[in-house]
Amino acid sequence: MSIELSKVTFTYSQGTPFERRALENISVSIEKGEIVAIIGHTGSGKSTLVQHLNALLRPEQGTIMIDGVNAAAKSKEAKAARHKVGMVFQYPEHQLFAETVEEDIAFAPRNKGFAPDEVKKLVQEAMRFVGLDYETYAKRSPFQLSGGQMRRVAVAGVVALNPDYLVLDEPSAGLDPISRKRVFQEILDLHKKRKLAIVLVTHSMDEAVQYADRLLVINKGKLMYDGAPSEIFKNHSQELRAVGMDTPHIYQLAEKLKAQGLQLKGEIMNERALVKAICEAKGWKYAK
Amino acid sequence: MITIENLKHYYKDIDGNEVRALDGVSLDIEAGEFVAIIGANGSGKSTLARHLNGLLVPTEGRVVVDGMDTLDEAKTWDIRQAVGMVFQNPDNQIVAAIVEEDVAFGLENIGVPGPEIRPRVEKALAAVGMSEYAKHAPHLLSGGQKQRVAIAGILGLEPKCIVLDEPTAMLDPQGRQEIVSTVKKLNQEKKITIVYITHYMEEALEASRVVVMAQGKMQFMGTPKEVFSRVEELEALGLEAPLAAKVASELRKCGAKLPKDIITEEELAQALCQ
Repeated sequence: MSIELSKVTFTYSQGTPFERRALENISVSIEKGEIVAIIGHTGSGKSTLVQHLNALLRPEQGTIMIDGVNAAAKSKEAKAARHKVGMVFQYPEHQLFAETVEEDIAFAPRNKGFAPDEVKKLVQEAMRFVGLDYETYAKRSPFQLSGGQMRRVAVAGVVALNPDYLVLDEPSAGLDPISRKRVFQEILDLHKKRKLAIVLVTHSMDEAVQYADRLLVINKGKLMYDGAPSEIFKNHSQELRAVGMDTPHIYQLAEKLKAQGLQLKGEIMNERALVKAICEAKGWKYAK
Repeated sequence: MITIENLKHYYKDIDGNEVRALDGVSLDIEAGEFVAIIGANGSGKSTLARHLNGLLVPTEGRVVVDGMDTLDEAKTWDIRQAVGMVFQNPDNQIVAAIVEEDVAFGLENIGVPGPEIRPRVEKALAAVGMSEYAKHAPHLLSGGQKQRVAIAGILGLEPKCIVLDEPTAMLDPQGRQEIVSTVKKLNQEKKITIVYITHYMEEALEASRVVVMAQGKMQFMGTPKEVFSRVEELEALGLEAPLAAKVASELRKCGAKLPKDIITEEELAQALCQ
């Protein structure tokens, strides 16, 4: 089970003076069950890339296969295949429209032809997933909620369709640090419970290294790196900086300390590992 | 520059319940200051920002900008010229198809005479380091560049103060860096008062003063050192201290004797490696 992009090329405004090549010959596959982060400079083509994952944009050249079905085709199977991919766009709360939270989340399942009692069940499940209490919030207007809550309603609207692949374009932009953590905790829970694939577009290197098991770096419409986040950040910091990316804060801090002569051992991928390594280097007793 | 006295902003939600977005905020912003405002989502910081140039007016209390009360409707346009706003999404703030025309838009709007417009546009673009893009189409620029064009559009109006509401939320690391250094330069070289709202604590480190908001009230404020060394209090408010401050705090729990006010990576490195 996978989404397979093979040799995908895409050009905006083709045949006009504004013609711009956004993707060039990209081949990549997303397997069900993995968490993939995509990073890239603004304008690198990463949003164009994710819009190909459910054939929202049709490739100019190349193919998109979702679970073995050509997703760009005009068939019933293709449509069903595209529905396996849920998309949460940037600032999804701007797309809320209904009078109540329940109505908003119910829109897609109802459209897809589920019976009223099934729709209600899907809404309740989706709300539970994103941590919104049904009794408290179902009848409230989504526009009266805080930014973080509105985003959860929007995510619930996509989750209600039970996608096999969930694509999130900067799900944490504009959220405070705790809400950011909470959003990711929910995504991880969802991943654990439903074993779906998560594709995460982010500008935060810290989030990429913390949450993803695979990292795709896009630059100028091409796939620059594809691998484990820790490996890419460790081996290509110079190259990443040259294309407007960076390494996670934790790496930068560890590098700075090493450069000043502190002997830090082992792989330092998170705060705890750093504190531990410093304690070891300084002979302090690490306390949890 | 701006005096906020016991500012309250209440509104009724759809069910008729009163929401207290701001509940008695008092704050003085001095001319030439660089003030960062941090707070969780829903803490009232964006509402506060919108009071600083009269986009919102107080339910109770007063906001006085450069001697003008925001409740005085006759002064609204003067207030908006004195205090410019930059928002999160650069795409929502750009109106023209060419960078220099976009910057000129505001000037034409307030009736600046034709011959004066060009030099002011050039000056504004130079101040944000975008002169070489004057003839470019904004939609082909990077996020950081677009946001700098938006700042130039405000600068052309020659404001005394610029309020930026999460200007880097949608930008990549390089774009964020561009905005932070541009804002710092405007503050230091042009003496423009800066009010900077952000969720990135590393950016707030650059300010001269940090104000912490929660539940419509100001919780505490001080220099970045004073505010960010209060690691646990920040966490309780849904915020987070910068990485170096958090690591220092954890190390102290392991028995390390480290200075209380470590907030930057350099300070941590120095304390650990001397």
